[in-house]
Amino acid sequence: MAVGPSSLSTEQLNAFIVARLAISGIDFNLLPADPDPATGVPTQTQVLSSLRSFLLANPAAVNGWRPSADAALGQQLAPPLEYPSITEAWTGKADGR
Amino acid sequence: MSRGLNRRVFLAGSAAAAAGTVAATTIPWTAAHAAPAFQQGRPVDVPDVDVRPAARADLTEATLAEAVTLLRRRATSATELVEAHLARIAAFEPTYQAFNAVTADAARAAAKAADRRRSGPLAGIPLCIKDNYFTAGVETTANSFVFEGFVPPYDATAVARLKAAGGIVVGKGQMGPLATTRATQPNGMVTTVNAWTPQDPSVDPGGSSTGPATAVAGRLACSSIGTQTGGSIVGPSNQQNLTGLKPTMGRTSIYGIIPLSYTRDHSGPLARDVLDAAIMTAVLAGPDPNDPRTLGLPAVPDLVAAALPVRKKGKVVLRRSTTIGVPPDYLTGNAAVVALRRTFLDTLAAIPGAKLVDVTYPADWGLLTGTFNAIRLSERTEPFLPYLKQDPKLFGVSLLSWLQGLFLSGDEWITGQRAKHHLLREVLDGVLSRCDVLLQTGPVPFDILGLPELGLPIGFAPVGANPAVPVGTILGAGPYEEDRLLEVGAAYQAVTDWHTRRPADPAPPAAAARSATVKPRLTPEEVAATTA
Repeated sequence: MAVGPSSLSTEQLNAFIVARLAISGIDFNLLPADPDPATGVPTQTQVLSSLRSFLLANPAAVNGWRPSADAALGQQLAPPLEYPSITEAWTGKADGR
Repeated sequence: MSRGLNRRVFLAGSAAAAAGTVAATTIPWTAAHAAPAFQQGRPVDVPDVDVRPAARADLTEATLAEAVTLLRRRATSATELVEAHLARIAAFEPTYQAFNAVTADAARAAAKAADRRRSGPLAGIPLCIKDNYFTAGVETTANSFVFEGFVPPYDATAVARLKAAGGIVVGKGQMGPLATTRATQPNGMVTTVNAWTPQDPSVDPGGSSTGPATAVAGRLACSSIGTQTGGSIVGPSNQQNLTGLKPTMGRTSIYGIIPLSYTRDHSGPLARDVLDAAIMTAVLAGPDPNDPRTLGLPAVPDLVAAALPVRKKGKVVLRRSTTIGVPPDYLTGNAAVVALRRTFLDTLAAIPGAKLVDVTYPADWGLLTGTFNAIRLSERTEPFLPYLKQDPKLFGVSLLSWLQGLFLSGDEWITGQRAKHHLLREVLDGVLSRCDVLLQTGPVPFDILGLPELGLPIGFAPVGANPAVPVGTILGAGPYEEDRLLEVGAAYQAVTDWHTRRPADPAPPAAAARSATVKPRLTPEEVAATTA
C-alpha cells in the first residue's frame, strides 16, 4: 500500500512540524497563542494549520514529477540548474537568436 | 518593536534628523560609498527628446529623458528639479505613503553639487530606491522588524551605479515586508496606496515594489528601482500605469540587496516609459565583480537605441521584424481586461514588422510554473535562519513562507532545479522557437527561468467603485534579449499614449476621507498566498 501525506493524522503532522522547527533551532513556543496585533505574526494555531496544508500539498506534488517516466533514463535528463538563463549564456547558447 | 511613522517623516524637517543623515549630506555622492570592489557601469548616452508642454509646465511631469533634455539645455536646474519633487513629497506623501524614508537634505546637497558640476547621464535626476537596496549611511530595513536599525556601510552596486551616473536619491521606497506582498507595515497594516486611487487603499497598488511605483506614478520621483522575485517590478508597474523592466538574471547586479530568493531575485527599473526604463537599465547593467551571476554574459546591447521608435515614411515600424506569441489564456478572464488586451493585440498587429502567432503551453506548464513555484521558499529560509532562531516574531505578518521553506527537503529542492532545466528547454526550444516575444499572463514562469520581462500600460478598467484603474500587460523574451522587448515597447508607445497619462493629485477631502476609513490589514495567510 502506497504511503503519502494524507495518511498522516493532524497530531502526527503537528508533531513533525514542531520537531522540524526545533531541529533547525526555531522555538515554536516563541509564537503567540493569541493574535498579536503589534507584530501581526501568526499564532501557533495559524502556523500549524498553514504548514500542515503546505505539507499535504507541495512535497508530494514535487516528488511526483520526474523528467521521464522511465526511472533509469530519467536520471540522465535535466540535470539541476540553479540559474537557467545564465547557464544558457555560459554554454554559449544565449547569443545570436 | 513598533516602527511607528518616524521612518516616514520628512527627515529634512528636524535638526535631529539632519544630524542623523550628516554623513550622507557632507560626503559627496561618489563611488566612495560603494562596495570595495565597485566597478563603474558602462557609459550611457541619453538622447535629446521632444519635451511635451506638460513637462515644461511642471517638471514633475517630465520623463527621465525629458528631464535630462531640459537640464542639458539649461532650461532647468538639478535644484529646481529636485525641489519640485520634494514639494510634492511634502504635499502628498501623507496620503501616498510611498517612502520608508525621505532623504531630503542629502538630495538637496547632491542637487547643488550637480548644478556646480554636471556629470553623468542621470545628473540631477530624482530617484526612489526600494528599501531593500543597501544605501550607505541610510537605514535599510526592507520594511521589516528584522533589519530595523540596519545602516549599510556601502551602497548596493545598483545604487552606486545610479549615483555615479549622477542620479539623486530622494528616498527609500516603501515595500512589502521583506519583499513579500503589497506594502504594509511589518504587522500587515496597509501603508502605500495606488496613486490612481489614493482615496481607496483597498485597490491593489502592486507589490512588493509598491513604494517605487507609487512614487513615480504620483510624481514624487522621476524614476525608481525595485526588485522582482515573483512579479514585483512588472506587477506594480502594471497596476500604476508605469513601464517596468525585469532584466535577465545576471544582466543587473543584485549585490547589496537584501535577499528573498537567491536564484529568483532581479533588480530593475519602474519607469515612466520604455525609453526611461532602457536608460535606467543601461546604467545598471554590466559585470559586477561582487556578483558572479553578472560575469561571463553576453555584452549589453544598446538598450537606449532599442527603446527609440523607428519611423519609415512617417509611420512607426518595428526596428526588427518580430513574431509575438499569444498564449491560449491571454484572452480569458475579466471582460474589461480582455477587451483591452484585444485592442493591444490589434494595435501591435497594425505596426509593420509585427506578426502575431498563437502558441501553446507544454502539457506540464501548470505544474512546473504553479506548484513548483514553492521550490524558491527554501532559498528565503536559509539566509534568514539566524533571525528565525533568534525570534520568529521578527518576521511579523510575513513569517509563514519563511517557515514553509523548512518543509522542502534537499532532494525536493534538487528536483525543483531539474524542473527548471526541463522548463527552460520547453520554453526556449518549444514556445520561443515559434516566436521572438511571448505575451505573459503572469510573471512567475519567466521569473523561475530568469528570463526578461517588460511590463507596460495598455489602458484603464473599472475596479470596484473606481472607474479607471490602470491595466498593463507583460511581454517576455529569451535570455539577454531585453533589447527585443524594448523595441516592441517603443513601437507600441509611439502609437499610443497610455504611458503619458498621470493620476490626478489627491484632493484634501480624499485624504481626509481615507484617514477616516479603517485601513485594510493583511493576514499572515494572505501574505503567504500572495508573496513574491
